[in-house]
Amino acid sequence: MTSTDVRLEPPPRQPLPGGPPRRSSWHARANAVVLVWLALALAAAALGDPLALPRWLPVHLLLLGAVTNAAVTWSEHFAVALLRLPPPRPRWSGLRLAVLNTGVTAVLAGAVGGVPAVAVGGAVLVVGVAVGHTAVLAVRSRSALHGRFSYLARWYICSGAALAVGAALGAVLVSGSLPQVWQERLLAAHVHANLLGWVGLAVLGTLFTLWPTVLRTRIVEGTSAWARRSLPLAAVGLVGAVGALTAGIRWAAVVGLALYAAAAVLALVPLLRTARQRRPHSGASWTVAAGTGWFAIILAADVAVVATHPAHAVADALGTLLPPVLVGFVGQVLLGSLMFLLPVVLGGGPATVKRGTALVERWWLPRLIAVNAAVPLTVLPVPPWAETSAWALLLAGLTVSVALLAAAFLRSRGLTWHTPSPAVVGTALGAALSAVAIGVAGSGLGPATETEPVAATGGTRTVEVSLGNMTIDPGVVSVDIGEELVLRVRNDDVQAHDLYLDNGARTPMLDPGQSAVLEVGVVTGPMEGWCTVMGHRAAGMDMRVETGEGSDAGTDSAADGSVSGAESAHLDLSGEMSPDWRPYDAVLEPAPGGTEHEVEIRVEETELEVAPGVRQSMWTFNGSVPGPVLRGRVGDVFTVTFVNDGTMGHGIDFHAGSLAPDEPMRTIRPGERLTYRFRAEMAGAWLYHCSTAPMLQHLGNGMYGAVVVDPPDLEPVDREYLLVQGELYLGEPGGAEQVARMDAGEPDAWVFNGTAAGYDHAPLEAAAGERVRIWAVAAGPTSGTSLHVVGARFDTVYKEGAYRLRPGDDGGAQALDLAPAQGGFVETVFPEPGTYPFVDHDFRHGENGAHGLFEVTE
Amino acid sequence: MLTIWTVVRFLHVLGAALWVGGQLTVSLVVLPLARRGLDAERRGSVLTAIGRRFGLLTVAFFLPVQIGTGIALAWRRGVTWESLLVPGYGRILAAKLALFAVVMLAAALHGAASSRGYPVLARVMAVTSLVTSVGVVALATALPVT
Ligand SMILES: [Cu+2]
Repeated sequence: MTSTDVRLEPPPRQPLPGGPPRRSSWHARANAVVLVWLALALAAAALGDPLALPRWLPVHLLLLGAVTNAAVTWSEHFAVALLRLPPPRPRWSGLRLAVLNTGVTAVLAGAVGGVPAVAVGGAVLVVGVAVGHTAVLAVRSRSALHGRFSYLARWYICSGAALAVGAALGAVLVSGSLPQVWQERLLAAHVHANLLGWVGLAVLGTLFTLWPTVLRTRIVEGTSAWARRSLPLAAVGLVGAVGALTAGIRWAAVVGLALYAAAAVLALVPLLRTARQRRPHSGASWTVAAGTGWFAIILAADVAVVATHPAHAVADALGTLLPPVLVGFVGQVLLGSLMFLLPVVLGGGPATVKRGTALVERWWLPRLIAVNAAVPLTVLPVPPWAETSAWALLLAGLTVSVALLAAAFLRSRGLTWHTPSPAVVGTALGAALSAVAIGVAGSGLGPATETEPVAATGGTRTVEVSLGNMTIDPGVVSVDIGEELVLRVRNDDVQAHDLYLDNGARTPMLDPGQSAVLEVGVVTGPMEGWCTVMGHRAAGMDMRVETGEGSDAGTDSAADGSVSGAESAHLDLSGEMSPDWRPYDAVLEPAPGGTEHEVEIRVEETELEVAPGVRQSMWTFNGSVPGPVLRGRVGDVFTVTFVNDGTMGHGIDFHAGSLAPDEPMRTIRPGERLTYRFRAEMAGAWLYHCSTAPMLQHLGNGMYGAVVVDPPDLEPVDREYLLVQGELYLGEPGGAEQVARMDAGEPDAWVFNGTAAGYDHAPLEAAAGERVRIWAVAAGPTSGTSLHVVGARFDTVYKEGAYRLRPGDDGGAQALDLAPAQGGFVETVFPEPGTYPFVDHDFRHGENGAHGLFEVTE
Repeated sequence: MLTIWTVVRFLHVLGAALWVGGQLTVSLVVLPLARRGLDAERRGSVLTAIGRRFGLLTVAFFLPVQIGTGIALAWRRGVTWESLLVPGYGRILAAKLALFAVVMLAAALHGAASSRGYPVLARVMAVTSLVTSVGVVALATALPVT
């Protein structure tokens, strides 16, 4: 072999002065760092499940650790070699490497350890290095702008800029400070900026020269023209795609990605022509070719995903593409390049390089086949055993590759690689087998196995657990020490979650609707549980297993009454409402004209004053409890635009309409909207409410309202009021304690129009002799009403679509009885001025908030 | 209190100590000394003899005692097939049994390999068996005492 084999720079015609930069030892060390990150990524991927590591950890070990180091090191190296720049001072390079890896370590440690500040700090360092590196490259390459390879610097500069954007988005993400919808959109933007920008542009830019070099052939004519032409297209497309994903504009994101894909196709032209000139023949060239092939597949798949998903669902949908992206594309391009480059940078003369190449290329065909056969199997719907085998194959193939590269590195450092002695192999084998067995033995065990409560009770406690949008329900599970705990976990959310308990028990990652039985084991003490998806724990997806002892144990039954009593006791219904409190306007406006009504109803999480001086976070329609009143006549059509501005899924259900619930009553995710159209064909006072399970919680937290459809013969009256009666549950909405009281049907108070005793503080008005119509709807969720006005009698009772009593009938009525979800109206004429209380005559309700006053004047 | 079960447990622990301890002693003490002090021919014959004796000890004493006392202890503790899957005692015991099976498999492979002239495989299997049996002991100590 001639010395051309050792050259990084391709053209035999234009040998660069001095051959490869004389910093091979420096580059060797930088590449060793890459190898370390690669090995860590592999270890995290292999051990991720048993150690309950979050899924993004191996992803970021690879991309942020290995790829970022490789890209920074190699982009500088190629720029120096091909643009004939003076090599930077090793001190600067060393400092940059140190800062970069400090930053990467901080990002990973901060995100794993749940200290967002550390992770954000690390991301700032990474951004700093990216910006600094890119700026230096830009400034230094200006002197070389007219050379043959000047396009290279531009690709690297765009790539570095993309990393700066991507890492900044990552920092925002890990700080976890955004609403869920934004979090998801930014995640999609973050993924695209980093994968297509930072990685994709660096790879494509490098391949223009690296590919001919790996194939040991000339650079084909016109390469630099293709490279120059495609970059602006790629950059514009990427900026468009990232911006559009952030803003949630789907079509713009698709257009951007299509532009980027077109640029990638253009960039592939010279690569294909090079391959025609000389076919791939080595492990390095085939591996790089396979990686580039996966890049093309991924781009196509990505365009399809973005075209078919709203921006906030993109990141989730791309999750299935992880193996092709990480292993097929990024991993193979990185490993293939290193297979070629590492022996070269390790230096030591042609013979040594040849020996090194032979070492790192050993068994390349089986490795290539294993990886590229396994990648599709991890994505396609195959039986679990096939998927597991594919992963094992994948990890084995990659591990061999990394091990060979590491061996080549060690050999160059004078550490020769012997066939390990039988003792070493045996020890490793035995230790590995023991480790697996100990892992299995420890699975599902509490941390304190030395205490011996195992047989203490022998009882098994099974609890249904629902994973929702940033909640785990119930948030607290009480178990007696020694009881065995089994959690039936169901993912009721629209994105994937899992549940990990700090004794090591965990569910697999559950797709929406999936369930798993989690055997927590015998409970020996309190435990924490959480979802391991990044950011979800911080966003509230955690739970606690409490070990009830003595008095705690009885919370389910006897103690509850007193708890509830105590809660109610500090609701001082006679206290003053805050000065800025405005009562829900009980005055019912007449039906507007026209037969078509359009209304927009937005889900909002609002803090409302629900009793004198008591503020409570409520789930509302349009910010009030009850939601907006819809009123019309028989035959009217209501078109409701329902928008979910909340942080979890909600739906809506209008009892006044008649339609198949499947579509209009479906649960929509935060940020989504749906249109619900119904014709009010029957008169009555109807309930509408959230249609998302568990409805007990959604109604109990305020998600209800009324639709009033006038009977055709409805007589005009002097005043009309609407009272929607509901229940008040204080505390964390959806929290275990609140839900337990809902389950027991023990509200803290009962409310008319959202406020306990609100109309005691803002009495309804009437005048003596006026005919007053009081519409009522019982929203529950668990109790109905027996509406009574103290001192008045009803001469009209209309309930559930029919008159029970009309003026002129002999009899009279004293109460309007409504079961949950029933509605109607009563009419009365106040005989003389005075203060007439109106109550739910079930006095548990009436005296605990379902109480108000009519102030009747002259 | 001393009962018949104390004796059973004593035999179980003694068997493990003999077997694992014996192997450790051979690997850490006898083999290095033999390698240093004996010429190749005598070393071969001595090591083969040790291997034979150990194999005999395993089949004739160790295995019957371990399996017998092990089953008895499990019966006494009320271990059932289902309970072997339950996290905690059952799962540790199951892992220990599986690992023990691996130890015995490796030991058998060692015997077969050395008698058929595959010295490297024999040595790998010997070390595997030894290290794994230490793992079995570790799991045994992790079993909650009752
Ligand atoms: Cu809801």
